[in-house]
Amino acid sequence: MISIEKTIDADVSINIFLKTEKNHVNLLNYIIRRLLLMILVLFGVSLIVFSIMMIIPPGQRVAIYVKSEKVTPAQMEALIEKYGMNDPAPIQYARWIGNIFQGDFGYSETAKGPVIEGFKQYFPITLELVLLSTPLIILVGVWLGTLGAVHKDKPVDHFTRVFAVIGYSLPTFWLGLMLLMLFYGLLGIFPPGQISNVGKDVISSPEWNRVTGLICLDGIINGRWDIVWDGFYHLILPAFNLVILSCALILRLMRSSMLESLGQDYIRTALAKGADRGTINRIHARRNALIPVITISGLMFAGLMAGMVITETIFNRKGIGLWMARAALQLDVPAIMFNVLFLGTIFAVVNLIVDILYAYVDPRIRLT
Amino acid sequence: MEQLVKTEKVVTNFYTYEGVVKALNGVSVEVRKGETYGLVGESGCGKSVTVRSIMRIVQSPGRIEDGKILLFFSDTDRNQAVDILKRSEAFMQTIRGNEISMIFQEASTSLNPVLSIEYQIGESFRLHRMPEILRETIDELQANLDKKKIPFVSGWKKFQISLFNRQKETLENYERLIDSIEFQLAELEDDGTSKNRRLKDELNRKRDMLRKDDRLVMFFRRFPFLRRYYRRINPVIHRKVVNLLKELGVPNPENIARSYPHELSGGMQQRIVIAIALACHPRILIADEPTSNLDVTIQAQILDMIRVLKETTISSVLFITHDLGVVAEICDRVTVMYAGDTCETAEVKELFQKPLHPYTKALLRSVPKVRQEEALATIPGVVPNLVNPPTGCRFHPRCESAMDICKREKPPLFTYAPGHTVSCHLYTSKEAKS
Amino acid sequence: MSTELKQKTTKKEGFLSHPAVKEFTFSAKRFLKNPLSIIGLTIILIFALIAIFAPVLAPPEDPYDPFKIPHDGWKTAPSPPSPEHPLGTMEQQYDILYGIIWGTRSAFKIGFFIVMANLFIGIILGSLAGYFGGWFDEIIMRITDMFYALPFLVMAMALVVAIGRGLQSIIIVMIILGWPTYTRMIRGEIMALRDKDFILAAKAGGAKSLRIIIQHILPNSIYSVLIVASMNIGTTVLTAAALSFLGLGSESGYADWGQMVSMCRDWIVGPPDNRLAYWYVVFTPGFVIAMFVLGWNLLGDAARDVFDPKMRRK
Repeated sequence: MISIEKTIDADVSINIFLKTEKNHVNLLNYIIRRLLLMILVLFGVSLIVFSIMMIIPPGQRVAIYVKSEKVTPAQMEALIEKYGMNDPAPIQYARWIGNIFQGDFGYSETAKGPVIEGFKQYFPITLELVLLSTPLIILVGVWLGTLGAVHKDKPVDHFTRVFAVIGYSLPTFWLGLMLLMLFYGLLGIFPPGQISNVGKDVISSPEWNRVTGLICLDGIINGRWDIVWDGFYHLILPAFNLVILSCALILRLMRSSMLESLGQDYIRTALAKGADRGTINRIHARRNALIPVITISGLMFAGLMAGMVITETIFNRKGIGLWMARAALQLDVPAIMFNVLFLGTIFAVVNLIVDILYAYVDPRIRLT
Repeated sequence: MEQLVKTEKVVTNFYTYEGVVKALNGVSVEVRKGETYGLVGESGCGKSVTVRSIMRIVQSPGRIEDGKILLFFSDTDRNQAVDILKRSEAFMQTIRGNEISMIFQEASTSLNPVLSIEYQIGESFRLHRMPEILRETIDELQANLDKKKIPFVSGWKKFQISLFNRQKETLENYERLIDSIEFQLAELEDDGTSKNRRLKDELNRKRDMLRKDDRLVMFFRRFPFLRRYYRRINPVIHRKVVNLLKELGVPNPENIARSYPHELSGGMQQRIVIAIALACHPRILIADEPTSNLDVTIQAQILDMIRVLKETTISSVLFITHDLGVVAEICDRVTVMYAGDTCETAEVKELFQKPLHPYTKALLRSVPKVRQEEALATIPGVVPNLVNPPTGCRFHPRCESAMDICKREKPPLFTYAPGHTVSCHLYTSKEAKS
Repeated sequence: MSTELKQKTTKKEGFLSHPAVKEFTFSAKRFLKNPLSIIGLTIILIFALIAIFAPVLAPPEDPYDPFKIPHDGWKTAPSPPSPEHPLGTMEQQYDILYGIIWGTRSAFKIGFFIVMANLFIGIILGSLAGYFGGWFDEIIMRITDMFYALPFLVMAMALVVAIGRGLQSIIIVMIILGWPTYTRMIRGEIMALRDKDFILAAKAGGAKSLRIIIQHILPNSIYSVLIVASMNIGTTVLTAAALSFLGLGSESGYADWGQMVSMCRDWIVGPPDNRLAYWYVVFTPGFVIAMFVLGWNLLGDAARDVFDPKMRRK
């Protein structure tokens, strides 16, 4: 009934067509391009790791092949010669890369077996902890951060801020030790390790059907609920340790980005529309506030890895973290190289997922 | 003409770290039914704060301290006023976007970048027209159900209908109860006995206890997968949004509805903002410098649009601008503001022909004219810092005809002619007359 | 004489009313009003005083090697606080109080040295990369990408072991692995400023690149960088302590907090009749680290809230 036609925004329609038509192709292209880039980065990472490892004298590196206690210098020389550790660095590097492509990552002294076997043994223990703690970290961080921003300068806000700054400042190892001292030492609950001795006998017996390696999941598959509980019981303290320390970062970021989002003009628009506080916080502010949180979660993952090394060392969980710590201390070169490459891959994949998620939440971002 | 919105001596302060910014110093304006009312002044003079006070959306650290904001929205009794400063936030939510709407200066930042246009316009409907939407959804479902009957699916659909019905009833109930409680509260306001206070507290508590949503419905809407049933209302909202955009003459409404703010041009964004404001056919539209950041051609289109809308859909427009040209073009009556004070109110023609307040005069002199010979006049000095505003008349440090009294006393409102008021000592004090 | 005085006073007033100075005094006032920043400042000041007066508070036995914690016999089990050892002793009877006092010096040394060195590298590489862009920027950024993909702690551990354990090695390794973060941050700041109008104005005025970087870009970006750096002093000490804890620090008996925590690992659980018998070995050094880091974090937090114009008006 009203006629205000005049300008037709030509660019509008064009934009829209572009968006709807090419979205899927774009995404696939993007992922492929990123994966190629990832290979490039991993190549660089392998170079860095390799050159760092070359600092170590050949005698030390060859030590992992030494089986007996008494080795004469001459024998040592022979071993170094045999494994080509005196060759020029590029040749050694090429040999190492060549072996990797054949699926041979070498022998790990700390795992007492091939690197791959060690990985299969240690990885599920870490994965279990990651799967339990990551959702908790994100949920608790986002929830408390939102709470703090919405109730700015109220007691809740002060509480979350204090919580965040303490979580940020506590040394991981100290918190872990204190938790262990209080719960295990004083109260006799939540022991270190990954499973009780009784449980260990069960899962190493031949009847045990090891499908995933995750203790809890395998327990469900095998129908042994006592093992599920046993595994979970040992997860509680390490997970708590990780959550306290890692969610502080998300909490702080969420709070400040939520505050920024709440100060934007579109919040005023929503208010003028007659929206209630709950709707505004939930729909208008939080989605915008999540954008920077998503971008930082890739970084959080790196922090989680460091936390994992220390947490597993303290709670004596035989996972990747503990393995890496021991490998680094004993200069178990093949294990270090493998794990660094593995974590580099994981890191790149996590960042790829983060970027895709980012584009999903923020329509302004196009993956190109 | 009948009055629609009236403010009486509204005082709004901002509590910043630098000190208390006294943004509004007792502002009284009055918007009548059927008129376009202009609010003019330099930036920072309190125009925006005035209208935000009217909407009661002054954001922290601002607070409305004193005064009355009266709405004359009753269809039966023209003189029945509601003072919104005494009403609850829940009541205000039913008014905002429904009876009073507002459009903002920067359309690009006023739209939420991560929500689709359809959602943002549709939200107005969701907030104020929910019973209607639910009714239409139920009708559609029912029609669907009558058409073909599949044993299992029909049962699920019937259950959905009952859910929607529950939601509709709870909502209607809620609105009715809120209304009645608000009415009782308004009745109670007059005397301040302790018994009254107790009753009031009780009513307030009762109001806060009221639920907008049925528990069963809430459960289904929160639960993943089960909440998919709620998508049934989306086509209804989509239809409403597209219709609204069509009404506003937006080309290609289907596509626009599906897009996001950053994909639109500035003019189109401003139209979307207008669409959001007009979704529920408000009685009064507040336009806060809606054309300031637009190209001149687009600006003309938006002004045109507002003018046409005023004739067809909304009864009154409160228009804020610093551009006197726009005022001359679109407004019927106008108030000039300076540093949180109202200086002068008059019909547009009268104001341009016979400005009384020295500030108005200076303002008019500083507008360039086509056949201008001499240099453009400016107003000496700067807008004062409102943490420590000048005493008396806030304009006196920059006023060319300032007197002693101006430093001491705030000038009273003086009616120069019917419909033409001014607050200036030049017209009231003995000093000036002698 | 009087006119001279008058001139002086007006000059002084002129200085005080300069916007930048006013801004600073205003910010500083707000900073001092915030209870959290006061707490942070107090903590850091106390630690600084302890570090300065360490020789007075805990006179070393050997003035040429003050970082060596004196020990009272060779008994393995720690002994509880006593008048002689106010905070008790660790295993092999190392005095905890002495270790904490001289450990404060180690902590400041670690924190300042690593952050300063990283900042130095970061400012040079970051400003060059950010300002000139092009292939130089590309190379630097790809290198930082690779460093980001490395698991920091594991790499640090391997490197420290490779070049020989000890606090010195930890510092060197954390500089080698830490610079990319700062480079990125500074580059980001500079990229954001590079196309701002006032830089373009300076360019249009014919200023040289180096002059633009030093005179216009760095002063504008350094604030936020310094705040992050101050917060990082805490985290740096934390990471170094973690490395020490994992057994990469100096030999036992060296006054370093991380080293002290690592020495307590065998004493978490006491004898059956008193499970918390050795709490002081576990609690005290870790608590001191936590306080040190907390102090820097509170300080940095408050400084960011106060000095960052974006955060302030809220």
